Amino acid sequence: MSDEKIVLTSCPHDCGGRCVLKVHVRDGVITRIETDDGEEPQLRACVRGRAYRQRVYAPDRLKFPMKRAGKRGEGRFKRITWDEALDTVASELKRVKETYGPTAIFYVPYSGNTGTFLHSQLAVFRLLTMLGGFTPTWGSASFWGSLFSSQITYGTITTGHTRDDLLNSRLIIMWGFNPAETVLITNTCLTLTQAKEKGIKIVAIDPRFTDSAASFATEWIPIRPGTDTALLIAMAYVIIQDSLQNQKFLDMYTVGFDRFKGYVLGVEDGVPKTPAWAENITGVSAAVIEKLAKEYALMKPAALLSLGAPGRSAFGEQFHRSASTLAAMTGNIGIHGGDPAGFGFQPVGLQPLSGVGLISGLMPGNLPEGTAQKRGVHISRVWDAILRGKAGGYPADLKLLYVTNGNPLNQFPNSNKGVEALKKLEFIVIHEQFMTPTARFADILLPVNTHLERNDIIRPWFSGPWYMYLNKAIDSLYESKSDLEICTELAERLGIEGYSDKTEDEWLREFWKSAQEMTYSKPLLDYDTLKEKGVHKIKVQRPIVAFKEEIKDPKKHPFPTPSGKIEIYSRRLSEMNNPGLPPIPKYIETWEGRNDPLAKKYPLQFISTHFKRRIHSNMDNIPWLKELEDQELWINSIDARERNINHGDLVRIFNDRGEVIIPAKVTERIMPGVVSIYQGAWYNPDQRGVDRGGCANVLLKDEHSPAGAFCSNTALVQVQKV
Amino acid sequence: MQMGFYFDQSRCIGCYTCSVACKDWNDIQAGPANWRRVISMERGKYPNVFLSYLSLSCNHCEKPACAMACPVNAITKREEDGIVVVDREICLGSDICGMPCKHTCPYEAPQFGEERNAKMQMCHFCLDRVRENKKPVCVDACPVRALDAGPLDELREKYREGKNVKGFTSSEETHPSLIIKPRYAP
Repeated sequence: MSDEKIVLTSCPHDCGGRCVLKVHVRDGVITRIETDDGEEPQLRACVRGRAYRQRVYAPDRLKFPMKRAGKRGEGRFKRITWDEALDTVASELKRVKETYGPTAIFYVPYSGNTGTFLHSQLAVFRLLTMLGGFTPTWGSASFWGSLFSSQITYGTITTGHTRDDLLNSRLIIMWGFNPAETVLITNTCLTLTQAKEKGIKIVAIDPRFTDSAASFATEWIPIRPGTDTALLIAMAYVIIQDSLQNQKFLDMYTVGFDRFKGYVLGVEDGVPKTPAWAENITGVSAAVIEKLAKEYALMKPAALLSLGAPGRSAFGEQFHRSASTLAAMTGNIGIHGGDPAGFGFQPVGLQPLSGVGLISGLMPGNLPEGTAQKRGVHISRVWDAILRGKAGGYPADLKLLYVTNGNPLNQFPNSNKGVEALKKLEFIVIHEQFMTPTARFADILLPVNTHLERNDIIRPWFSGPWYMYLNKAIDSLYESKSDLEICTELAERLGIEGYSDKTEDEWLREFWKSAQEMTYSKPLLDYDTLKEKGVHKIKVQRPIVAFKEEIKDPKKHPFPTPSGKIEIYSRRLSEMNNPGLPPIPKYIETWEGRNDPLAKKYPLQFISTHFKRRIHSNMDNIPWLKELEDQELWINSIDARERNINHGDLVRIFNDRGEVIIPAKVTERIMPGVVSIYQGAWYNPDQRGVDRGGCANVLLKDEHSPAGAFCSNTALVQVQKV
Repeated sequence: MQMGFYFDQSRCIGCYTCSVACKDWNDIQAGPANWRRVISMERGKYPNVFLSYLSLSCNHCEKPACAMACPVNAITKREEDGIVVVDREICLGSDICGMPCKHTCPYEAPQFGEERNAKMQMCHFCLDRVRENKKPVCVDACPVRALDAGPLDELREKYREGKNVKGFTSSEETHPSLIIKPRYAP
């Protein structure tokens, strides 16, 4: 028996963290996984990282290339050779390109691999680009409202402080912010724990009493989904009425406050946005609104934290625009302990793109002006685009679907419509590790290895002061290959020259070289040392604060907006002339809210939340994780009693788009009138088309907010006992 | 000397990392045998809700009831560190003896897999790690540092005396080697 070796790596998922995994390997087999026990700050892995051994050795991993044997979607497959699989994919790509043009090829990747430099959607992106192009997607299920609004208001998405700066705050508002389940940058929970123990006041605003609300906050303010903007605007009203705004800051660094003030006071529309006005909309009492507004205005510095959830709503852009406006009104920008309430990227640990150049056209920085919308299909509209094509106003008639790093049938809205769309296509090829609900619809299914079977470099999830090397722990299992290996072989068959002229190691060295340009990250370790140490923790002397320079010397350092200031009023928005995107932030009532006529038939507001035992739809099939908690419908005891539902009863959750049957969790931890399901459970329709898996997207409308915010918290449903 | 655990309930976010890290390190399959369990407790009525978690393993009691209940003395308390261990070679199995260890333990720490006549298994304080001067894997796993382990005297000095919380009462009979810092409602 050989000695055990320890391989240093991490996880490459859209999990919220980027942590150290120390993988024990004996005789080419992973035996155990430990986490960071080295220098502080330790980057300790979460429950999902600790379960990774079961994912690598899961009996249901895809082992061989397969082709469809039954009807599409039936899930019957036949093992074939790599040659047959790749020949088929290459000839279908050629056929579709020659018959319909390259835009008939629809590439739908997602976040299955996130933050990796090499093994990611880049491989297919490069292949299809070199083949002559394709129709891409745009948008994000996570943060698009925030991304767009941050660009408009601040001209950048790099608005974040390093998390350690929270310890300089006097007040932290966690607004739809639940790192106890979503991590939201490794060690955020530890920092919030320290903040709580330091006596910093922490408030949680959320329709659910989340694990974070329970663990960190001293106050929970439940709020109706889709109404967060009204609360923010009423807070602005209180601040203006009491003249608590930092007028000097507003005069010096912002444009458009007076117009916003006019809207808030009702000069514009005759409706003063008072706490009483907002109480009626949000369900938060006027007294609580008033108290919160005064606290936020007076307890400086204060950090209003939100990454995405309230913005994952119809008109979710307005939430983020309003939050940034409140941050400006209170002068919580550019100071320690504050937060601009923007997108929140920290300037450390970003992916170096200059040297890669493959996906720069699709990176967030280039998007809000509307270019990508023209070229691509929003992820909420993928099924509609397949079904209706050009006739429906989409860029192309889509014939061939290429899916990697994703499970769109499960994770994009309106799964039942997705089934119809997938049946319509001429050809579907999918790279996967498991037989996901989407993979069942493949014509050719190609098995991909896991990150423990290859080398890569990875940046932190989102951002943060470290980089990691993902060292290969074991050889590729079964017949699996990496995306890059698959695409290299496809490139040969397609006659694409120069697709990959480098080895894995050469690519990584080149990428790492380009990382040297990142200002905050200097000096970076050399490549070999990074590989050996596994993690490079960038020493940050003091917490990093966004816009310090812009505040200190605004003449020399204007904000990167057209006006050079923080844009409460945006000319760019004004020029878009879209009533859903007003030039100043406004509360706009969502569709499928409680005043929608549809609420008579479907009286409950439905939200879908993250789940600590999954990464979106990743790892739903891992026994160690599956047994931790059931996939349940959260329903308040008041709503449950009206429907004669007891804890654990099977319930139907339905609307015009579909029906899901799962057990009910009757709880006081969700506000009456609202129900929620954890997103990511695998869609599993029975013979009647009723989903028994608990997939939230069965119930969601396939529509996005005007600037592209994903609307996973905007839906009405009814619930009945089975 | 007596080894023991410390659990800071005010910190625990209920993430289960301790529980799964334990399963990976000790190679326990998914199923009923769970050496370290995380239990959630909800109290109150909307909107005045309170939530707390407990992370519990074997408490390596000063006077382990399980050891006294075992008909064949398969459970012993180690002299050198007070860690309670089971000899699965000696254990009769669940079907034969009816699991008196599990039934007498105030904390249901003895665990049994789903196989027929399952032999008892439970937390052994990661003896293999203790031998290398490491803490049990659950302690080193906790992302918010809510767990600690070590000589009970030292833990008492560091964290003072623990308190009873909902779901855990320190048994006057067995004297569990666990110190809990409670989470209080704000």
